[in-house]
Amino acid sequence: MSVTSFYFLCLFALALLLYYAIPKKAQWAFLLLLSIGYFMTSDPVTQSGGWYVIFYLLAAVGAVYGAAVFIGRTAEQRKKRAALICAVLFCLGLLCALRFFGLPLLAPLGISFYTLTLLGYLFDVYYEIGQVQTSYLKLLLFGAYFPTMISGPILKYREMEGQLYGGHKLDYRQVTFGMQRMLWGFFKVLVISERAAVIANEIFDNYDDYAGLPVWLGAVAFTAQLYTNFSGCMDIVLGISQCFGIGLPENFDAPFLSRNISEYWRRWHITLGTWLKEYLFYPLLRTRFFMQLPKTLKPRLGKKRAKQVTTFLAMFLLWFAIGYWHGGTWNFIIGSGLLHWFYIVSGELLEPFFSRWKAAWHVPDENRLFIFFQRLRTFALVTLGLIFFRSPTVPDALRMIGRGCSALNLRILWDGSLFSYGLNWIEFTILAVSLLFFGWASVRQQKGWLRERLEKKPLILRWAILYALLFYVILLGQYGPEYSAAEFIYQNFRA
Amino acid sequence: MTIKQAVKAAAFLAGFVFILVTVTYIIRTNGGVKDRFTGFYAEKENTIDVVLAGSSPVYPYYSAPKLYGEQGIASYPLSTNNQRPKAIKYLFREALKTQDPSLFIVELRMFTMPDEEWEDTMVFTRGVTDNMKYSVNRIQAINALVSDKSERYTYYFDIFKYHSNWKTMVMPEQLACWNYEKAHPLKGLEIKTGVGPAEQVDLSGVTGTKEPAAEQVEVLYDLLDWIGQSGKDALFLISPYAMEEDARLQYNWLISAIEEKGYPVLDFNAHAEEMGLDFATDFYDYGSHVNALGERKCTEFLGRYLDEHYDLPDRRGQKGYESWDDAFALYEEQQAKAEASCLADIENENWAPEVVED
Repeated sequence: MSVTSFYFLCLFALALLLYYAIPKKAQWAFLLLLSIGYFMTSDPVTQSGGWYVIFYLLAAVGAVYGAAVFIGRTAEQRKKRAALICAVLFCLGLLCALRFFGLPLLAPLGISFYTLTLLGYLFDVYYEIGQVQTSYLKLLLFGAYFPTMISGPILKYREMEGQLYGGHKLDYRQVTFGMQRMLWGFFKVLVISERAAVIANEIFDNYDDYAGLPVWLGAVAFTAQLYTNFSGCMDIVLGISQCFGIGLPENFDAPFLSRNISEYWRRWHITLGTWLKEYLFYPLLRTRFFMQLPKTLKPRLGKKRAKQVTTFLAMFLLWFAIGYWHGGTWNFIIGSGLLHWFYIVSGELLEPFFSRWKAAWHVPDENRLFIFFQRLRTFALVTLGLIFFRSPTVPDALRMIGRGCSALNLRILWDGSLFSYGLNWIEFTILAVSLLFFGWASVRQQKGWLRERLEKKPLILRWAILYALLFYVILLGQYGPEYSAAEFIYQNFRA
Repeated sequence: MTIKQAVKAAAFLAGFVFILVTVTYIIRTNGGVKDRFTGFYAEKENTIDVVLAGSSPVYPYYSAPKLYGEQGIASYPLSTNNQRPKAIKYLFREALKTQDPSLFIVELRMFTMPDEEWEDTMVFTRGVTDNMKYSVNRIQAINALVSDKSERYTYYFDIFKYHSNWKTMVMPEQLACWNYEKAHPLKGLEIKTGVGPAEQVDLSGVTGTKEPAAEQVEVLYDLLDWIGQSGKDALFLISPYAMEEDARLQYNWLISAIEEKGYPVLDFNAHAEEMGLDFATDFYDYGSHVNALGERKCTEFLGRYLDEHYDLPDRRGQKGYESWDDAFALYEEQQAKAEASCLADIENENWAPEVVED
């Protein structure tokens, strides 16, 4: 059941009423029931009849639960390590078998997200920075908490424990803020993303018919589609959870305001980046091989370069993992993995050159025009990667880039061609205006939460703004019998 | 949550519902059916004495302005294309909310066609449900007409269907529908021009019967029971058209079933000669529906029949019926033009393009 569906919203409203009507002690159990219910009404179950996929979830939670309890009870490091390895291999084996190895098995909803969430918990227990959860059902709720099953965010147990299992009193402000956040998400998904998708689909599916600017327009449209779809989904998810009194970690922080790719990855899919850094990158650097490598390379490269090369190698593995996790094929490995590794490594290596260049041209770091250039550069580099991400194969992506470079075609800006890529001038204008509004809001958001600013406005103005946004989405959103149901891209890629 | 917050939330929700309903009424697709229904809702309370229901053999056949102008009868057609008989009960209920008619008239053509043929075509169901004001009766109509429960919400909240019509919000005639009440200048009538000649088939020798599809029989008996309980009088019509034998057999069955329950059936086909109906000139689509020439004859015949068999009040000159006088004047003007157009077509043998419509 899609969170943008009418029935979901009705059930959400009903669940919210019941949640605050029952005793606080029972709220976590109610959330568990909701989560199981949501899981069992997901597409793999209802459309493919795969009711048994619940056992994959139960087994993964069971393995992590058993290992964590064992680690918590035993004093022997060797046994702890063995339990950790067994559980990790079991969970990753299940994930790979169901998602990546092309086996004819039905993957349950959110498997990539709950696997990482559960493993993060287990690592925390192993490294003794997290408490052991002794209730299997409570751990099941942590793994299967329904808002996060769609596209994350990836949770940290130590941040969620108090919120998930403690009772919540109905807080008007939290509920209204949650609903406003959901509305903002619907705006991004239904008004912007679904429209941008029309242009992106037209250009990507027929790139041989286009050359020059239209190709880049298609790529930009896909970037807009993906970002507003994924971040919009997160807004809906975080809003739903906030209504239940449970704050989830942010997954986005205006990534296209980033001045370089490293910063971009600290602001895009934040919880995945954090997870991989904490549970893959740092442990990788602590392995014997990577501890030894700088010493081995030092005589040839010098201390600084040896350390740098070691870090770059570890980063290569990290980015390969990120790319692989996004889809398991080369277009994902390159588009959301290795290309970004290349950007970061190149940036690091060329940094002295850039510094000299800036000094020679007297470009201060905080110059507005320079910041704008840096942001534009980040956007362009990410967009280039997303061509690989969206294309069916790497050769397709390369051919499309080739088509983009084969001509200029600036005339599309004034000869009316802009309105021939699937959106007429009205729809195109709606997309452009909505994107501008979204961009403006993203910039304003950096100076403080818009919802909190809105809260301080007079009631009439506040309601007028909310009604305006509400009906903007209701009237201009692409949903209903004439449209295919809005789906979340990240859900399809990895969940 | 404090009481103040609860009140605020309720007020916000009420405002949302009000705007949602208003916007939906405005952006519902414009056209003849919407005009007819908004026209009905715009009628002053308890001014309509006869309500007609049925499919396309109603709104171009029977002129409410003419019935008023010549007999003083205030009637209104709650008619839609391919109106599924299941909808009729709910339309009459809808009528009773604002009117107190003494007579319901039901056109029978759709009873001879299996309902399943029409359920899959959403537009015929929406013709009814998306032209009713929001109410419990509307919900019940949707439940009766839409068997796929997962789809019903798009009928309950038809903005799901019509939100892409937002561009029409700037049209004054759409904005005028904000409360779904906008006077219809011809009281629901659609005057049809064009001529599509047909031949009348003599089926007077067909005296056998054939039971219509089971669900239509069930709907008929349910409707008859409901009318009986409502305490209103009812008349059933078989509007004239180039009928086939199978339909004739079903009509024969329907006539006897309805008459058995004590209600009359007026079969225009049986009176075509008496009415002066000419199949060669009085239809616009080759025997399925009458044009302005046929409409005049059908209305005159119905008017005489109602005059003779029912004690309906003569509303002419009464206070509150000023708009009916205007409607009659407009009707005469437009009818004269339409008849002249038909006669010119006949003279020039300028036949209408073939249209498949029920």
